[in-house]
Amino acid sequence: MLLQQILNGLTAGSVYALVALGYTMIYGILGLINFAQGELYMAGAFAAVLLLSAYEVNFFLAFLFGMGVAALVGVTLERVAFRPLRGAHPLVPLISAIGASILMQSLALLLFGPTDRAFPVQFEFATVDVAGIPISTLQGAIFGSAVFFMTLLVLFVKYTRFGKAIMATAQDQDTARLMGINVDRMISLTFLIGSALSGAAGIMMAIYYNATYPRMGLLPGLKAFSAAILGGVGNIPGAIVGGLILGVAENLGAAYLSSGYKDAVAFAILIVVLLLRPRGLLGGRGH
Amino acid sequence: MTEYFLHLAIISSFYIILALSLNLIIGYCGQVSLGHAAFYGIGAYTSALITIHWGAPFLLGLVLAVLVAALFGLGLGIPTLRIRDDYLAIVTLGFGIIVDLVLLNLEVTGGPDGLTRIPPPDLFGLNFRFKGNYLTLVMFCVLAVLLLVYRLVHSRHGRALKAIRDHEVTARVMGINTAAYKIAIFTLSAGMAGLAGSLYAHYITFINPESFGLHTSILILTMVVLGGMGSILGSVVGAGILTILPEMLRRFADYQDLAYGGLLIAMLIWRPQGLLGVGKVSQKFILPKGKKGT
Repeated sequence: MLLQQILNGLTAGSVYALVALGYTMIYGILGLINFAQGELYMAGAFAAVLLLSAYEVNFFLAFLFGMGVAALVGVTLERVAFRPLRGAHPLVPLISAIGASILMQSLALLLFGPTDRAFPVQFEFATVDVAGIPISTLQGAIFGSAVFFMTLLVLFVKYTRFGKAIMATAQDQDTARLMGINVDRMISLTFLIGSALSGAAGIMMAIYYNATYPRMGLLPGLKAFSAAILGGVGNIPGAIVGGLILGVAENLGAAYLSSGYKDAVAFAILIVVLLLRPRGLLGGRGH
Repeated sequence: MTEYFLHLAIISSFYIILALSLNLIIGYCGQVSLGHAAFYGIGAYTSALITIHWGAPFLLGLVLAVLVAALFGLGLGIPTLRIRDDYLAIVTLGFGIIVDLVLLNLEVTGGPDGLTRIPPPDLFGLNFRFKGNYLTLVMFCVLAVLLLVYRLVHSRHGRALKAIRDHEVTARVMGINTAAYKIAIFTLSAGMAGLAGSLYAHYITFINPESFGLHTSILILTMVVLGGMGSILGSVVGAGILTILPEMLRRFADYQDLAYGGLLIAMLIWRPQGLLGVGKVSQKFILPKGKKGT
């Protein structure tokens, strides 16, 4: 029972971690809390679901398409809602991000309606007994792909020219510009990667819960944000650790305390972390 | 028809108080609260619960609503306002969601159904089911809040607040206790939202958590941004416009949220001072000249 809950938590947590990576990277480079991150998650899920229900396409192609659409929306968002406000007090883009979030949510509501959509492709998932605990292969697949994307991101940031340029921009924009880095392009690239990861997370959850709807990104988005703070905002391994801890804590809270307060666990953790250790577990960039 | 206009005027008044209180935080603390509706809800539920269950008089409910909401504001403000600028936004957002969940799950608050049969005010033997009387009561409260805010902003403390808002470090160097001021304003603001909540509960006579969620917090924020952050008159106008316009444009109700989102972004990019905030907005919120659009 306990192990089962921990495994459920790790599955949800790995998805939070993917979204949290987007938050953390964008915060790291712009000092901006992108409240619309949850809507990118929703955009990715909708893109994949709509493509799969309209055309007979390969699932992996639809997955990539969903990530691509989320990335496109993210980059557009940065252009429209954040770039014109760069250099203003951090609260200004924060409010603008809130505006973008409700804008996209209500746009999705108008375009796609309020009802849940089932995932158009049915998968055959088995339940495997590992050391006496039944594990669904779906959970395994979600956890596995999340880990895959995270590894990819860490390798990208550490070992590629673009990755290093992003880190340089995050550390000091002016110096990065002096070194010949196109800062605007790096910011766009950060939004592109962060949004694609959120889109991937959205598609996985659309399969896991078999439901895609306009408000699906709201709570996961906010929880992923808590995860980013928990791990230390601006810190990439921190976002992963924060996401996993949050997912597990939430599931344990729902199982052993009260299921009605499941969604409150993440925010209670957020408040406690901000009060006791505002730089997060692994130490974020902070201000 | 007059009934309907009275109703609109009363509803606008609640939002005027809410917008004014949030504007104190944004325009005079340079902070954003994303859980303002939670204080509104705490006020509404406090007042409703003690008048229903203990048969307390309306006035006691009102006073307690203000005090309890302010107490929550104080509890939330003390730890958070001393740290970073954007932390308050996040903590209040989380606080708003937790309060929403607590109201939904507690037995005493009636869960998703909320509370019904909240008694109307019992003051001076007047019948407050008559909307004209209620409007008088609400107007009296609005004027009191307006006077309080106006006097506060134009006092010695108001100048200290403006100094904090415009340059916190300099203010601290001048010997202003910036943390104490911020906490005081946040507490006051939460209390004012509690007042609006109590007035709302006794007017509508039934409340449920739906009225006090994230959506309401964002609506109040939009009112402040539209009217002009830091402008008292702006909050009154912003609240008035965003209460009355949606009523007149009922046919387009589906597009309401879309419009709020677009309005927030567009105002910040093209008119960050809001409709009436010329020369009154913190320099913090306006882009330095020549830096626009990088």
